[in-house]
Amino acid sequence: MSTVAHPAAAVGHDGDENRFQIYVQIAMLLAVITGIEIVAIYIPLARWIIFGGLVVLSLVKFLFVIFYFMHLKWDKPFCTVLFMIGLAWGGGTAWALVLLARADASRPLTSPANEQAEVR
Amino acid sequence: MSSPAATVAIDHHHDHTTSTGIPNKKLLLWAFLASDCMFFGTLISTHLIYRLHPVPGGPDPRHIFSIELTSFSTFILLMSSLMMALAVNAIQKGNVRSMRASLLTTAFFGAIFVGCQVYEFHHFVMEKHLTISNSLFGSTFYTLTGTHGIHVSIGILWLMSMYFFSFKKGFSERNAVDVDSMGLYWHFVDIVWIVIFTAVYLLEFI
Repeated sequence: MSTVAHPAAAVGHDGDENRFQIYVQIAMLLAVITGIEIVAIYIPLARWIIFGGLVVLSLVKFLFVIFYFMHLKWDKPFCTVLFMIGLAWGGGTAWALVLLARADASRPLTSPANEQAEVR
Repeated sequence: MSSPAATVAIDHHHDHTTSTGIPNKKLLLWAFLASDCMFFGTLISTHLIYRLHPVPGGPDPRHIFSIELTSFSTFILLMSSLMMALAVNAIQKGNVRSMRASLLTTAFFGAIFVGCQVYEFHHFVMEKHLTISNSLFGSTFYTLTGTHGIHVSIGILWLMSMYFFSFKKGFSERNAVDVDSMGLYWHFVDIVWIVIFTAVYLLEFI
């Protein structure tokens, strides 16, 4: 017999109804956020504001999916820790690579910035 | 988070568990998804790095991308995640018929997404002359989105396998962990697309 903390078992029948409503509401919210993202790219605001807004909105969508659809909110914390380790490792590697590539020394020789420097 | 009541109440699930109290299959899936984060992290960063240093005379993504099509496929994938969550919810209540309907809908939405991607790739190659080998942008774009598309395709195969498996005698809420694990994979594919949609498509337009 298992002693797993199971989301469905934890909430009971009334909880199941609530869970159904939560899933539908979150899906609608995700659709609305996606709509906002699409509209946002056409708004004539400063680039950094749109960029920051898109990153925040994506993060909100990401967190809603992992904590509600993937049940991290109701599952054992170890699942969250395990996933976050991978996420931090992958995200950190990606961030480090992007920062590294922005350094002048690592620019590809075909980069426009290098070509301009050669012309000067 | 688990509660003591929840820990007591799930005796009807006969899953093999690790010492953590998490079913083996589920723990395996979480470990796999954690490793897949690193895989997609490198693919996304590779694409972004080459976008930061565009090659002179290279293609302009704003003239290539169709934001309407991509938005539609994004919406479809989000809705497929909803159906997957409902399928897991149904099997946890022992409602196999409802789970089958939700699984089929999820697979159908996934197939629409893959269909949109195939159309997009075909359009890019034939109309926009963007191939995987004629530009750095094409190489990183097709590698990243193609890898994601393969993940979605594997998910559809998994969904259909589970659908047919559900007709096997004895399939019940005891198999909830199987459907739940499959759901984790499907939602992961969705969150990867959430990142790709913003990083690869939307950021090109600001």
